[in-house]
Amino acid sequence: MRLNLKIWRQAGPDGAGKLVDYAADHVSPDMSFLEMLDVINERLVKQGEDAISFDSDCREGICGMCSLVINGVPHGPDRGTTVCQLHMRRFKDGETVTIEPWRARAFPVVKDLVVDRSAFDRIIAAGGYVSINVGGAPDGNAIPVSKQVAEQAMDSAACIGCGACVAACKNASAHLFMSAKIAQLSVLPQGQVERTTRVVAMIAQADADGFGSCSNEGECEAVCPKEIPISNIARMSREFTRAVFAGK
Amino acid sequence: MVSGLSSERQPGKLRYTDENMSSRIRVFDSSVGSKLLIGLTGLALFLYLITHIAGNALIFLGADTFNTYAHTLTSNPLIPIIELGLVLVFLTHIFKTVQMFVRNKAARPVAYAVKKPAGTPSRKTLASSTMIVSGLWLLLFVVLHVQAFKYGLEYEAASGVRDLYRIEMETFASPLTVAFYVVSMLLVGSHLWHGASSALQSLGLDHPSWTPRILAAGKIAAVAIAGGFVVIALWAHVTGGAR
Ligand code: FES
Repeated sequence: MRLNLKIWRQAGPDGAGKLVDYAADHVSPDMSFLEMLDVINERLVKQGEDAISFDSDCREGICGMCSLVINGVPHGPDRGTTVCQLHMRRFKDGETVTIEPWRARAFPVVKDLVVDRSAFDRIIAAGGYVSINVGGAPDGNAIPVSKQVAEQAMDSAACIGCGACVAACKNASAHLFMSAKIAQLSVLPQGQVERTTRVVAMIAQADADGFGSCSNEGECEAVCPKEIPISNIARMSREFTRAVFAGK
Repeated sequence: MVSGLSSERQPGKLRYTDENMSSRIRVFDSSVGSKLLIGLTGLALFLYLITHIAGNALIFLGADTFNTYAHTLTSNPLIPIIELGLVLVFLTHIFKTVQMFVRNKAARPVAYAVKKPAGTPSRKTLASSTMIVSGLWLLLFVVLHVQAFKYGLEYEAASGVRDLYRIEMETFASPLTVAFYVVSMLLVGSHLWHGASSALQSLGLDHPSWTPRILAAGKIAAVAIAGGFVVIALWAHVTGGAR
């Protein structure tokens, strides 16, 4: 199959970018989306041109590195799928496909389709951790966690931190990302030590980094490759209220 | 209490202070605190609208009942206090939503060339995408509306109370006024279509089986409230309030 690609090219953080047209010929429907870009890049390199920069690592949907907005939807048209797991059979022969980076003030473009997501690391550093006593490895079952709580924590912990929630949100809000982390730790016994300070500090950090707030539209949930629901965001509101007004 | 909130909004430059959270302003300045305040004030305005439409529906019971109701309501000594509270709630809602809108816009300085709605299970609708427009229109509407009905014409009914019934009928005799009201009420409906359930989500109310019902109930309430006001305006226009 043949595709007309419109790809965002931007030389560096300060350069002005633009969409550049590329023709992708002989695309196999069995290729993944990133393989298709690899093939284009091989051609560009052979022609002595600058390859298109994009992020990827595991290419099996678990690391959260891949980050492309395809035809206006982060991670492309498939629900609950990272772009590395997207396949070309999802597209029609002759289709025009626009590829853009995540767009947010807090995620500045590094080059082409690569953005700097260290703002997420700063949010985690602000409170996304638990305190434990150092020493020998603790016994795995020393702290009992009920099945229900374990499941609940796991559902939130499924977040791979890719940032698609920010990319999809009209406010470029990080609320789904940080609420998943806050929710996960707030239900577990290990997360109780910092429970109060965590929620306040993480929200303050996200605000300081220039992410927007939340309008409860839930676009984030719809594009999340791990289908993390916005019920986490409601929980974050409760955790914040508890921290600020109950002071505990 | 809790430390860690800083009002500085610079990337990577958050200061952690040990001073206790002396100022609730900083709490409500945060992105989540703003949501709490917007949700709380929005919910209050929503509840107010329910009492408003319930009171207005008394117009169908005739001039005397309606005027007596209006008189009883406005002569209650608590009303000025409630009105003041309502104004504060209204202004807070506007201030926080406009502030949030401006900050949210700043969070994405470069727009997408192509952006599409993500589809289910997203709650994004035309209504949710235009909250700022419907909201600002309603600000204009409320000013004109209060001017017309609270500080407008003064007629005295036979019983000696203010003849609000007649004021309403005369106001809605004009097709232009009716059109303005109908458009405004459709925007009330649009605002509530997203806003009613959104307020509860902002306040953290969420439940696996209740949330779908809250979402549906919010939409039903939006249609009922906006529809109710529209029916009253049209009825007044068409019948002129046959007594
Ligand atoms: S490359 Fe690891 S999730 Fe896509």
